[in-house]
Amino acid sequence: MMINKREFLVRAQLEDKTLEAWIHEEWLAPAESVGEMTFSDADVARVQLIRDLKNDLGVNDEGVGVILNLVDQVHGLRRVLTELLKSVHDRA
Amino acid sequence: MKDPYEVLGVERSATADAIQKAYRRLAKKLHPDLNPGNKEAEERFKEVSAAYDLLSDADKRARYDRGEIDASGAEKPRQHFYRDFASEAPAGHAYENYSGFADFADSDDILSELLRRRANVRVRARGSDVHYELPIEFLEAVTGAVKRLTLPEGGTLDVTIPAGIQNGQVLRLRGKGRPGLGEGEPGDALVEITIKPHHFFTRDGNDIHIDLPITLSEAVLGGRVNVPTPTGPVTVTVPKGSNTGTVLRLRGKGVMRRDGGHGDELVKLKVMLPERPDPELEAFVAGWQGGKPYDPRRDAQP
Repeated sequence: MMINKREFLVRAQLEDKTLEAWIHEEWLAPAESVGEMTFSDADVARVQLIRDLKNDLGVNDEGVGVILNLVDQVHGLRRVLTELLKSVHDRA
Repeated sequence: MKDPYEVLGVERSATADAIQKAYRRLAKKLHPDLNPGNKEAEERFKEVSAAYDLLSDADKRARYDRGEIDASGAEKPRQHFYRDFASEAPAGHAYENYSGFADFADSDDILSELLRRRANVRVRARGSDVHYELPIEFLEAVTGAVKRLTLPEGGTLDVTIPAGIQNGQVLRLRGKGRPGLGEGEPGDALVEITIKPHHFFTRDGNDIHIDLPITLSEAVLGGRVNVPTPTGPVTVTVPKGSNTGTVLRLRGKGVMRRDGGHGDELVKLKVMLPERPDPELEAFVAGWQGGKPYDPRRDAQP
């Protein structure tokens, strides 16, 4: 399910300015369709993660970028590992 | 429900600062998004968050200490974490990043093959779908039409509306979306159809409804009247003694169904008195003994 920017701001309870800043920081990378940004459930959940990091875990802005980058690498690693295991099983 | 002090591992006399520190120490270890593969972490994180919610609020903490609320008083339900979506295609994939272990690929055939395949997938990405809205006339929806859509970036798109289309239906025009990347195929154009209302036809599924006014003499004596249908007027016989609310069914004059057949047109009669009072009619009705005993409201008594 993709939603437009206005709906996203409501669902993620985010200010327009904050969204711009976070996109500028490359914390969020919304998809684009017909020249408009579109957002997924993953983007909404990612906002909550950023908020947890900043508000609950006391991570500063530089730290948020570092953590997101590492989290993204972990997910990339998990996917390749999943596929690797699958291909090992397929060969076996 | 566990004791929140125990969950956070602090003394009952701990300061707010100490409670925050204890929470952060645990949350950094247990946050589900920092533990994407660890199911247990999520349960413990929820427990820790609930405990912190309660103890970080001075008022709630005091009420808990006095025994006024139990530890569940502050539990906040949290259904989803980012990790639940991170593995979902394609949304989550946008953020994934393989740079952390790309160097492994140099020394391993299987892994380099997997990464090469993934890299190809990226370069050959399919173009994105584009959404449009297209309002059409009622009769265009019934009989079908070709509509030209002017695109925001210039250019046009011809959309063939099949006969019998429903309001809100989305037409997918293959390959008319954004161009793909590399050898990837273009996305689709998704055109959502909205049907404008008609000034006397209404539609219910494949049937068409119309209210048809008839004169008093047509109602009493019967007669032949012209009825509009989406494909032009037809002559219909109004039976003698027809009343307001009588429904005539014109078979096959409705909307085309998927199986090629047609729905019906349902004509609801509405008896109209003359536009101006008519002395002859008044004189007749005044002397009309046969009409007196009839009570049309007999079923509407409280």
